[in-house]
Amino acid sequence: MTWLKLVEGYMPMQMISELAICILVFALLNYTLKRAGMGIPTFWAGILVWAFIQVYLKYRIYPPIPFSVRAIYGTVSACGVFMWVSGSEAAWQEFRRPIINVLDAVSPFHKAIRVVSLVVIPLLIGGFAYKSFLPSFEEPIELRTVHPAPPATTKVHGKTFVLQTSQNPYRVNPEGKYDQEFSNAATVVQDMGRLMKDVKDPKYNPWDPNAEGYIKYVREGGEIFFQNCHFCHGDNLNGRGLWAYAFNPIPANFTDAGTIAQLQETFVFWRVSQGGIGLPPEGFPWASVMPPWKEHLTTDEIWKVVMFEYWHTGYYPRTWD
Amino acid sequence: MGRLKFRMARKKILATSGLFAMGSMLLLPIFLALPALAGGGGGSAAGGPPPDVVAAQKAKAEAEGASAEEEKVEVGRDVYYKIEGPVVGGPAPKTEDSETFYPRYNFESRVLLWVANQQHLYYGSFVLAVPIFCMCIEFAGMVSKDKAMAKKYDQLAHDFIKISLTAYSLTAILGGILIFTFLTLYPAFFGYLSSIFRPVMHIYALMFVAESGCLYIYYYGWDKMTHGVMKWIHLSMSVVLNVIGTVLMFLANSWIAFMMSPAGIDEQGRYLGNIWHVLHTALWNPLNVHRILGNMAFGGGVVAAYAAYRFLSSKTDEERAHYDWMGYIAMSLGVAFLIPLPFAGYWLMREVYAYRQQMGITLMGGLLAWLFIIQATMIGILFLTTNYYLWQALGRMTGGERFQRYIKYLVFILVVGLLVFITPHTIVMSPAELKAMGGQQHPVLGNYGVMSAKNGGINAIIMTTVLSFIWYQRGNRVPAVKWARLGNTFMICFFTVAQLNNVWLAVYGYFIPANVRIGLSVPQVAGTLSCLFFMTPLNLAMLKGARQLGPIKWGKISPRSQYALIMLATAFTWMMGLMGYIRSSVRLFWHVNEVMRDNSPWAYTHTIGFAANIISFNVLFFWISILFVFWLGTLGMKSPVTAAAKEPVAGAPVPQPAAGH
Repeated sequence: MTWLKLVEGYMPMQMISELAICILVFALLNYTLKRAGMGIPTFWAGILVWAFIQVYLKYRIYPPIPFSVRAIYGTVSACGVFMWVSGSEAAWQEFRRPIINVLDAVSPFHKAIRVVSLVVIPLLIGGFAYKSFLPSFEEPIELRTVHPAPPATTKVHGKTFVLQTSQNPYRVNPEGKYDQEFSNAATVVQDMGRLMKDVKDPKYNPWDPNAEGYIKYVREGGEIFFQNCHFCHGDNLNGRGLWAYAFNPIPANFTDAGTIAQLQETFVFWRVSQGGIGLPPEGFPWASVMPPWKEHLTTDEIWKVVMFEYWHTGYYPRTWD
Repeated sequence: MGRLKFRMARKKILATSGLFAMGSMLLLPIFLALPALAGGGGGSAAGGPPPDVVAAQKAKAEAEGASAEEEKVEVGRDVYYKIEGPVVGGPAPKTEDSETFYPRYNFESRVLLWVANQQHLYYGSFVLAVPIFCMCIEFAGMVSKDKAMAKKYDQLAHDFIKISLTAYSLTAILGGILIFTFLTLYPAFFGYLSSIFRPVMHIYALMFVAESGCLYIYYYGWDKMTHGVMKWIHLSMSVVLNVIGTVLMFLANSWIAFMMSPAGIDEQGRYLGNIWHVLHTALWNPLNVHRILGNMAFGGGVVAAYAAYRFLSSKTDEERAHYDWMGYIAMSLGVAFLIPLPFAGYWLMREVYAYRQQMGITLMGGLLAWLFIIQATMIGILFLTTNYYLWQALGRMTGGERFQRYIKYLVFILVVGLLVFITPHTIVMSPAELKAMGGQQHPVLGNYGVMSAKNGGINAIIMTTVLSFIWYQRGNRVPAVKWARLGNTFMICFFTVAQLNNVWLAVYGYFIPANVRIGLSVPQVAGTLSCLFFMTPLNLAMLKGARQLGPIKWGKISPRSQYALIMLATAFTWMMGLMGYIRSSVRLFWHVNEVMRDNSPWAYTHTIGFAANIISFNVLFFWISILFVFWLGTLGMKSPVTAAAKEPVAGAPVPQPAAGH
């Protein structure tokens, strides 16, 4: 369905809205047909709605949804369909009538279906069972923890940082005090283009020669990012760098609402400084090849690059106040 | 006439004072646990040793012939309250993997303890919840103007407590088994815990004796204390019983709260002499509130399942009518406590994050995140099943079919809300799927997998449940008040605005800082609670003097509704087992978080599949044993219908157990 694009940033609501519209259209159509005496029997209506949802999820949504999630969605939608068709006694009786007719073999046609079902259903179940026992050459599923639980403290270049209370020393207002609200106001506009609020204003443009304080540190963080990080995390910080596809899984996509937007700045500082090798053992397997950047960058450089990541994506670090 | 009026007034005053007394007594444990007391209560609570400790130290000093001033008391710093206190206990034992610290059978000790603990908890929750129901139902019977209804309520409360009595013995037996399991398999840990909680454990045992006494007087005095002041005294007994039960639970909660978020000890685990600090840890109160609500919901579910079981095995219409009604009452009570439960859970998680960020992330974003997805699924099942039961219940009312045709729209909202609510953040996928997706983050699922969307999902589900309940209340009635049209329009607008506000805030949450986003849950929850607390009374006001379309045909309900009740109870049981496991395993390799390390060979986190199997085993074991309890209960029980027929009440419509909702 290339004529109707899924629009980045609006996809979640678009999916729900499309499903709602389709089901509403179906309900209206069925209502009209019922008025004309040609309504779709509840049994088939239920199966049709369920099948439509599965087809929609498999073929409409891209990137493709993994099977485990489609299985969850399929089960929940099956429960929903059951609740609908058995919500009232009349609907339930209507729904089960074709099944009872087949079981009772009320006509030769129904008897034929019953015979076929009795043969086909066990065969299908046997087939599935046989298939599930066949040896597979696919890589096994890894239940990976995306957000590892951080330690209470982390040591970088001999200094111990308490993750719950530490603050980025460069996220400061013109008076030199830590001020997240001030820095939040100077991030890029969180949109597909991720544009600066006012490119001519040195308060918002890190590359303006007159940029000072927080926004100047963002520029310095950006320089460090493009010297060290963008090869994997990408020019647009979306995890699609030049080398990204050499790794499995590919590097984190910072523009996604589920990554740095969910985390405290100190958490990101810890992840960057310790890298994949410094992750705690209880969350194995980590599957992260990120180097421990404390071996290559200074503490100040790590803070600045973290700040740049938030600035560029338009997200704000999580706080607990 | 004047005398009758006086009697009525006296009854009203008695009812109001009774209600007030009940409320105050029930709130007593919460007042006792108020955080303000943590630092107050004189010198001892402010960090110094309690008077008995001081006296003991003085006496010791005098005996040794030295003055109190010369006595040097070692001082330790509280790991949570960050104040200093005298060290009056030994350090937490440093265990190692040996038979001395961890004696064992040829089996995993942790699993044995898990099963013993879970079974005790199931029964404990049940016997704590049921007396609260009895109290409410008995009270409803006492203030009911309809004598037939009053008798029915009284009989129902009596039936409930009868079931609870057998379960009570079993709770005590399981408690004994639990203590023996602790003593024999984890002696070092249990020894340390009991050295800290020594006075509390004795109070706990004494409270248990008091609880037993109250319960027996309450049960055996039922037929003796039937009228007038005696009946009020009887009801007061249930209040006392429930206060003791609640305090018991709070004390037991303090042990698990201490294991998760220790306080009142120094970093070596040495007791600093202030028992209140040990009790009043960071997570004690959130756990208390969450557990009391959870117990009530669970108890309602179990009684509803009992009623469903009796309904399905009933031979006569009268029996079916009685158990249909009983199931409805129990379900309503259970759901009444289920609705605030997610909010209490939210508070608990907030406090967990505030106490230790890594603990919160381990729970909701890290190692145990998938278990939370299973939990979300169970919550969804609970709400969906409740809605389903209410829709089925519309079928026993003339006029209910008016609403049944709109069920499909509610189904859509519920399903979409649930899909968003249970979408995992950490997706299970094969490497091939990971490559096809182009990374760990999915542009659609990634957005459903975070809190902002999930808050929207669960609030949409709860609001829909409230709407189903309002439909149920209206099932066989049409509002006849003059302002009915205005009221209906207002209600439609209110629900629409609340839902739109909920969705809007869920979307808006992605565009603002996280600390503001967390705050957005407040208007979302406020919208949902407004629907519950404003629309339900408004609906009742509109139904005053409503036109009846026909009676409620108790017993004329589909068997599917009863299976829904059984499903509800099973889901409650499974979820309790799951959440208990999650809460316990978040300590990872600590017996007492960051103080006493677990060095047994089982100090690792189980696989999800293994944990799910043990939880399922616990659920199955509980249900088999409680079926036995139910069966025991029926042995000495007269058929409720036969009993009613033998003792007719003037004006009672015999086959109908209740005329109202």
